[in-house]
Amino acid sequence: MAQLTEQLAELQRRFASDADAADGPQALERVRVAYLGRSGEVTKIRRTIGTLAADERPGAGKAINAAVEAMEARWLAARAALESRGFEAELAASIDVTFPAIPATLGSIHPVRRIIEQSCDYFMRHGFAVVVGPEAEPDYYNFDALNIPSDHPARESFDSFWLTDTLLLRPHTSPVQIRTMQRHRPPVAIVAPGKCYRRDATDARHLFQFHQVEGLLVAENIHFGHLKGMLTGLCRELFGAHQRVRFRPSYFPFTEPSAEVDTTCPKCKSQSLSPRCSMCGGSGWIELGGAGMVHPNVLREVGYDPDVYSGWAFGAGVERLGLARYDVDDIRRFVNSDPDFLAQLS
Amino acid sequence: MRVPISWLREFAALPDDVEEIAERLAMLGFPVAEIERRPAIAGVVTGRIVSLEKHPNADRLQIAHVDVAGGNGLTIATAADNVATGQTIAVATVGAQLPQLRIERRTMRGVVSEGMLISADELALPPEWFEDGIMQLDAGVPLGADAVELFGLRTDVLDVEITGNRPDSMSITGLARELAASYGLPLRLPSFDNPGTPTEPPGETPHVALESPDCYRFVAQRFDGVRVGTAPAWMRIRLALAGQRPINNFVDVSNYVMLETGQPLHFYDASAIGGGTLVVRSARDGETIVTLDGVTRKLCAQALVIADEKRPLCLAGLMGAAAGEVNAQTRAIVLEAANFNGARVRRMAKALTLRTEASARHEKSLAPVLTDIGAARAAQLLCNFGATAYRPHAFGADVAPAQPIALPVRDVERLLGSAIPADRIEHHLTALGCTVAPAARDALSVTPPLWRRDLTIPADLVEEVARIEGYDRIEAIVPSVPPHEISGAAFDLERRIAHGLAALGYHEVITYSLHGAGRFERFARAGLTPHQAPIEVRNPLSEEQRFLRDSLLPGLLEYFAANEPLRVFEIGDIFHTEQDRIVEQTAIAFGFTAEGGAEPEWRDTSFLRLKGDCEALLRDITGRESDSSPGARFGFHPGKTGRVSVDGREVGTIGGVDPRLSKAFGLERNAYVGILDVAALPAYETPRYRLPSKFPSTYRDVALVVDLGVGAREIERAVAGALGAFCTGVRVFDEYRGPQIGAGCKSLAVRITMARFDTTITDEEADAAVAAVADALRRQFGATIRA
Repeated sequence: MAQLTEQLAELQRRFASDADAADGPQALERVRVAYLGRSGEVTKIRRTIGTLAADERPGAGKAINAAVEAMEARWLAARAALESRGFEAELAASIDVTFPAIPATLGSIHPVRRIIEQSCDYFMRHGFAVVVGPEAEPDYYNFDALNIPSDHPARESFDSFWLTDTLLLRPHTSPVQIRTMQRHRPPVAIVAPGKCYRRDATDARHLFQFHQVEGLLVAENIHFGHLKGMLTGLCRELFGAHQRVRFRPSYFPFTEPSAEVDTTCPKCKSQSLSPRCSMCGGSGWIELGGAGMVHPNVLREVGYDPDVYSGWAFGAGVERLGLARYDVDDIRRFVNSDPDFLAQLS
Repeated sequence: MRVPISWLREFAALPDDVEEIAERLAMLGFPVAEIERRPAIAGVVTGRIVSLEKHPNADRLQIAHVDVAGGNGLTIATAADNVATGQTIAVATVGAQLPQLRIERRTMRGVVSEGMLISADELALPPEWFEDGIMQLDAGVPLGADAVELFGLRTDVLDVEITGNRPDSMSITGLARELAASYGLPLRLPSFDNPGTPTEPPGETPHVALESPDCYRFVAQRFDGVRVGTAPAWMRIRLALAGQRPINNFVDVSNYVMLETGQPLHFYDASAIGGGTLVVRSARDGETIVTLDGVTRKLCAQALVIADEKRPLCLAGLMGAAAGEVNAQTRAIVLEAANFNGARVRRMAKALTLRTEASARHEKSLAPVLTDIGAARAAQLLCNFGATAYRPHAFGADVAPAQPIALPVRDVERLLGSAIPADRIEHHLTALGCTVAPAARDALSVTPPLWRRDLTIPADLVEEVARIEGYDRIEAIVPSVPPHEISGAAFDLERRIAHGLAALGYHEVITYSLHGAGRFERFARAGLTPHQAPIEVRNPLSEEQRFLRDSLLPGLLEYFAANEPLRVFEIGDIFHTEQDRIVEQTAIAFGFTAEGGAEPEWRDTSFLRLKGDCEALLRDITGRESDSSPGARFGFHPGKTGRVSVDGREVGTIGGVDPRLSKAFGLERNAYVGILDVAALPAYETPRYRLPSKFPSTYRDVALVVDLGVGAREIERAVAGALGAFCTGVRVFDEYRGPQIGAGCKSLAVRITMARFDTTITDEEADAAVAAVADALRRQFGATIRA
C-alpha cells in the first residue's frame, strides 16, 4: 500500500511536469491519453490492485480515484494556462493598418450609364417611365414626324449616317417620342436614353457616336414652367444642390416655344470669368441641351389634339454632361474606356 | 455674324455696357459667341493736306501742312508715298492714343512733327483691306472732326449666332429691332421708300424673265451717273468692322445693304446683258461659269442661274460671274434684289461646295418683302454717291399680305404657365413689328410683320411674347405627373444585366458601332470568312466608319489588344440583314483574356470560370438555371464553345475565341467571351422556397469510366433521375484522362448527396441507392464503376 501511494505521488509529479511542458493542445492531449487514457499509466497501476491483499484493495481504489481526480484538475488547469498563453501571444501581435489593401475585384458600369441611370432615376421618382428604341430608324421617325419635312434646312443640322434611302442611324433619341406617342394615348411621361450618331468630325469636344437622354411629358395643362421645374431638378441631381439653370430662346422645328438650357459651370462655379475656365470658356455656363413645348404639328402627327394636350420635350448629350461632371478634358475618353479612366470614375 | 455695336446704335440708343447687350441678345435667342474688344483710339481728327514739301534733311520724308479746322494747322512729317496736296486724311494729333503707341511732339531730323498721318493699321483695321499708306477720306468730310466718332470706331464687335428660323435677323436692322423691343427703346430705321422714280431712257428698261419657279420675286432697277470707284471711308470702315472686305463702291453697297437689311443684292453692268433681258433659269447640263472668285465652275441642271441670252451672269443667290461684272467701262448698272426658293439655293451651294454670305441668307428662305427694302436702301446709298436711280421693276409674285393669326390669350398661360395680361402681350408683339387687334372674346388678332415668315401659328406668337417678357421670368414648377401605363421593362432589364456583370467583376466599356475594313482583313488573316455581306453606311465620314457592326466580339478583341488585361463587358446594338431588311438586336458581350495554363488539352479552367459567370448572371437576370451544350459560333474555338440555353431556349454562346482570330487581332493571351441576345432572355421567374430536409444528409463519391463523348451534364442528369426522391445534389467534380483509363475513355468523379425528408437516411439505404445508380449508368452509358 505504501508502495502504491509512493507510485501515485510519483505519477502525479511526472504528469504535472509533462502537462506543463506541453506546447500546444495536441501535445497536451497526448499527455492526457498517456496518463489517463484507456491504456495509460493510471490503468496500468489500477491493474496491480489485484496483487494486493483483499483488505487493502478498497483503500487502494480510493487512492487511485483521488489521484485521477487531482490529475484531471491539474490537466484542466494546464489547458487553461496553455490557452491563456496562446491568447497572450496572439494579442501581442500588431500590424500596420495603413499598409495598402489587397484590391477587391468589383467590376464597374460605364460613367455614361451612370449619368443615364441617375438622370432616369430622377425622372422615375417623378412618375416617368424609361423607354428605349432602335438606333437604325426610318427618316419618318427622325424627321418627318418631328416637323422636319424633307426639304427643311434643319435636316442639315442633323447630318446623319444613311443606311438606305430611308433608313439612317438616328441623330437624336426623338424617334422614341414618336413611337411612344403613337402607341399610347396621353398622358405620356417618358425619358428615353440611348445611342445616337452624327457625321461630326471627332475631336476633344465631338463624337460621331454619343448618348442622349430625352424626356417627354404630354398631358392636359402641361406648360413651360413644368419644363423649367424638372430640368432645374435634373441639374441639381447631377451637379449639386446649388446649381442654377438658365433657359434661352432657341429654335428647333419640333418645339415651340424652344429653349437652350444652360447650367452653371460645375468647374468654375461661374466664379472665375477670368482667367478663362477650360470647361465653360469663361461664360460661367455650360450647355445642358435643347428643350421646348412640343410643336402642335408633332402632336397632330401622332393623333393628339394640340388644343387639348400640351407637353414638353428635352434632349441632353450624356458625354457632354460627363465632361462637366467628371472634369474630363477630352470627350473621346468616354469611348476609349481605357482601364485607368474607368477605374478613376467607377 | 459680326455685328459692330456702333452700327446697332445707329438704330437704337442701346445701353453702354457691351456685356449687358451680349447677355440680352443671348436671352433673346441670339447667343454671342465672342465679344471682340477693339483697342481704345483717341485724338484722331480729320484734316486736309494743304501743302506738301520735301524734308530738307531726309530723302524719304515729306513735310505735310494739314488743315484741321482751327489753329494754324499742323506740320507733320510722313514717310508715306501716297500723299498729295488736297487729300482729306485722318491725323493723330499730339497726345493721341493709338493701339500701339501714343503720339508726342517730336523732332524728325530738325523738323518738328506735330502728329502722324493715319493708315488703316493705326485704326486697328486690316491694312490689307485698305489702300497702301495713308487712308484716304472723302472730300466732303468735315475737317477737325473726331474720326473715332465720325466712323464709329469706338465700338466692340459681337459675333452673334443666328438660328435657322430667323434670316430676318441675319442683319443689323433685325438685331437692332430685337434689342429695341427688349429694352423698350424706339427704333430708328432708314426709310423703306425707294428714291428711284424717273422712267428709264427708251429701250433701257430692265427686263427679267422668270423661267424657273424657284425665283419667287425679282426687283430690277437701273442706275447711271456713277462710275466704279472706291466707296466712302465711312462705308469701307463699317464693312471692315463687320468683317467684310471693301472692294469697290458697287460691291460695297451690295454688301452693306445685305448686312444692314438681310437682303443680298447683285449689280450687273447694264451693257453686258446680251439681249437686254435677265433670264432666271436652271443651268444647262455642262454649262460653265467663271465666278467672281476666278473659279471656273461646271454646272448641272440643279444650279439656278441668272443669264442673258447667251451665258450665265450669276449663280442665283450665291455669287456673280466675271462676265457682267461692273468694271471701269461701266456706265449704267442693273440692280438685282431677288427672292429664291431657299432649298434650291441650299442644294446648289452644297453641290458646288460654295457657301457665301448671300447663300447663307437665301437658303433660310428670306421674306419676299426684303427685295423691295433692299433695293430701296441701295438706291438711297447710290443716290448719295451721285447716281441717278430709275424706277424699280418687280417681277414674279407680289408681296403677299401677312395672314392674321388668332391668338387666344389663354394660350399664353396654357403654354407658359405664367399669366401675362393681354395689354402686355399686345405691347411685346407690337414692339416686334406685329399689328395687334382685338378679335373674338379673349383672343387677339395678330398680323406678323412681312419680314417674319416664321410666325404662322399661335405657339409661334407665344414664344415671341415669352422672349420679350424674358424666359427667366417664367416660374419653374415641378409637375405632378398623371398616372400612365407605359412600361420601362426593357431599360430595367439592361440595367440589371449591367449591374449583374459589374458585380461579377466585369467593367463596362463602350466601343464604336461603326468600323473599317480592317476587321475583315483580320478575319481573313485568321482564315475566317463572314457568312454575310456587311451593312455599309452610305456616307461615312472616314473609312473607319464604313461598316455597321454585326457582333460585339471584334470590339472586345480590339479593346483587349489595346488595354491591360481586364474583365470587360459591353451592351449594345448589332445589325444584320434578313431578306434585304436590316435587323437590329441588343446584345451583351463579356469576357477576359487568360494565360494558357499548364493544363491538359481536354481541360480549360478559364472556360469554366466564364461559364460560372454566365450561369450566375443568368440566374440573377432570369431567376432560372442555364445549361450549356456543345455548340459552334463564328470566331469561336471549335472545341471550346458552348451553346447557352435557359429552359431549352437558346440565349447565347460562351467560349474561347478562335486562337487564330485572337492572334489576328494582336492578342497575346487567349480570349474567353460570352455573348447573349437580350431579346432571347426569358422573363424573370420568381423562385419558390423549398423546405430543406430536417434530417442529416449523407454523400457518396463515385468514380466511373465512360466514353469521351459522354458529357458531365448527361451523367449528372442520369444520376439524379436514378436516385429519385433521395437526391439532394449531384455534381461531377473531377475528370481524368490518361493511359490508366484507356484510349477513348475518361474517368469522372461524381459526388452524390442524399437525404430523406421523413427520417435519417441509413448507410444501407444510401449504398443501395448508389448501387442502383451504378446499374443505371452501366446500362445507359456502358460506364464502368471504379472502386
